Amino acid sequence: MFSKIEIFDMARGLLGHSAARQSVIAQNMANADTPGFRARDMAAFSDSYRVAEPDLRPTRPGHIMGGGDATAPARLHDSPGRSAPNGNTVSLENEMIRALDVSRQHEMALSVYRSSLNILRSSLGRQ
Amino acid sequence: MNDFARASVISASGMQAQADRLRHVSENIANADTPGYHRKTVSFQSVVERGRASGEVTSGPVRLDQSALAQIYDPGHPMADETGHYAGSNVDLVIEIADAREAQRSYDANLKLFDQSRQMSRALLELLRR
Repeated sequence: MFSKIEIFDMARGLLGHSAARQSVIAQNMANADTPGFRARDMAAFSDSYRVAEPDLRPTRPGHIMGGGDATAPARLHDSPGRSAPNGNTVSLENEMIRALDVSRQHEMALSVYRSSLNILRSSLGRQ
Repeated sequence: MNDFARASVISASGMQAQADRLRHVSENIANADTPGYHRKTVSFQSVVERGRASGEVTSGPVRLDQSALAQIYDPGHPMADETGHYAGSNVDLVIEIADAREAQRSYDANLKLFDQSRQMSRALLELLRR
């Protein structure tokens, strides 16, 4: 019953998105000095959340579905950046900004989740 | 493996690779005055597991810098040839220090991200309390 409440779904989707994005950023950071490595990033949550909702139904095995559920992994794309002489496009500064963005996003999702939980709890008459 | 654990493992591999690089830099600096020493360089490469990149990084094989050795004039040196020169090392301290700085910077960045992953997963577990 409670699993279908939209705001919980959305908060969970945002949590999953920020966790996945964190690991993409970790990959970029770890490979900041690997020759020929191209920095990657995930699509923003606002773009991937609605897209993931299934409007079309697969009726044959050959049909390709756009997503599935809200926590489906967003596609990775090259993030633009100047490349170093060895072909590496990671910029530590950009990655720092992204990491900050991710932690802010994660915190927001947690707050939304927690306060929704509090509302549910008080509607049950408990503190 | 969940995303936070994966992110931590990847950050740790980055730190490991940078520490390895720093070790070679210190080896070079320690041998800056060793006659005939070629400076060691180490390159980074992505780890491939089961045919696809796992996102981790590792330091590649050690290579020797083949640029010419410095010729040092010291007729009293036991290795000096008839012109009074002997081959020193090709270590340039300025390059090594710059390399060490860069390794430290990358190490710090990885450490910071490791810490952030830890904090994020801890905040997630905080939800379970109460």
